[in-house]
Amino acid sequence: MINSVLRYSLIFVLLILLQVLLFNNIEFSGFVNPYVYIMFILLLPFEIPSWLLLIISFFTGLIIDFFCGSPGMHASATLLAGFVRPHVLRVISPRDGYDPGSDPSMFIYGFTWFLLYTVIIVLIHHLALFYLEVFRFTDFFRTLLRVILSSLFSISFILLLEYARRGK
Amino acid sequence: MRNLLNFLAKYNNLIIFLILEGIAFYLLGTGNSYHNSSMVKGVRGITRGLEQRIDNTRSYFRLREINQELASENVRLKNTIEQLTPKQGLLFFSVSDSDRHQQYRYTTARVIDNSVNRQKNFFTINKGINQGVSVDMAVISDDGVAGVIVGCSENYSVAMSLLNLDFRLSSRIRSNGFFGSLSWDGRDNSKAVLSEIPQHVPVSIGDTIETTGFSALFPEGIIVGTVSSVEKPGGDFYMIEVALKTDFRKLHYVNMIGNLMKTEQTELENSIQ
Repeated sequence: MINSVLRYSLIFVLLILLQVLLFNNIEFSGFVNPYVYIMFILLLPFEIPSWLLLIISFFTGLIIDFFCGSPGMHASATLLAGFVRPHVLRVISPRDGYDPGSDPSMFIYGFTWFLLYTVIIVLIHHLALFYLEVFRFTDFFRTLLRVILSSLFSISFILLLEYARRGK
Repeated sequence: MRNLLNFLAKYNNLIIFLILEGIAFYLLGTGNSYHNSSMVKGVRGITRGLEQRIDNTRSYFRLREINQELASENVRLKNTIEQLTPKQGLLFFSVSDSDRHQQYRYTTARVIDNSVNRQKNFFTINKGINQGVSVDMAVISDDGVAGVIVGCSENYSVAMSLLNLDFRLSSRIRSNGFFGSLSWDGRDNSKAVLSEIPQHVPVSIGDTIETTGFSALFPEGIIVGTVSSVEKPGGDFYMIEVALKTDFRKLHYVNMIGNLMKTEQTELENSIQ
């Protein structure tokens, strides 16, 4: 128990630092802003109670907001991701369900499963985030393009990080 | 009562979600206006130490470029001094000397945090109230307009970048003096849009756009950019796209301009309205 709390704290700090120090500084034509910190919400164990998941998502987003100077934006998008996560997990669950005590990982449930899981959550998060940022529906398709491009990058980085996580 | 408890137990996640989402939206609504939000300032204080450290590393990689910029700025300033000295016979004069009708006061500072990829961009500079920076001061780079100070703490200030959907700037075409309102449309961080120029005015690509000085924030004649394309949509006005002179991705040293006579001007304008 204590062990896994420590492990998740470490993952949390690493992902926040990676986001703030590296990914927030990517300025590529204003269209690509990968947000990989959402990976933390993806990796939390299956058994986590929903209320705890919601609170963790909210504060993860809020911490990113502190660094971006945009109070509430990441918090509300990440909260939404945390809210839909149990439902997404139920919909895409493998035929014989999830093994008790395991955590969502590419190496237990396979690449396709992890990819699908990541794509759904990241898309929901990015859609909420980018439309909240613009806060209007003019230029709807341009924002959609930003969502899609940024999601592509976020998903790729998350997959790479997932490989690196098991490589250690 | 029992039904209520059952209901709460059944939907507790939804309720937590809605409450937290409510808090997030409240922050989103109040926090982003920046003027009234003490929360943002307090919070930025926490992360600022880290930002400063990131910036120190980043500025190291750009030393060569900055040197060149400073050198060219030096040459320009030396030329100006040469032009001024024989005429006035006097080099130094007090900053707030109203006898000499000095209207604007310049201070320089370094940008320690900047963004160009959001819809509402702000940047942080390393001078604040203690160094004489105050809200509503204009911020320019060596090339042209950069933004306006919207919040100050003791040693830092946050400026609204020109690349912010809320930014408006009164600007005019240098060659014929017709003025309009310049704003950013959120697309390209090197382009802005000048509107309210009537269609009978001759505009050609390459015309210089500069500030008007109407707003009491920016002095007259600071370069904003050049016209890069002109469109005639329906209606009476042009859609003029302006290529910005300032490269916001490389914003590093900026000058703040305080208008010493701003209160006088705004008081007069308000008393008449």
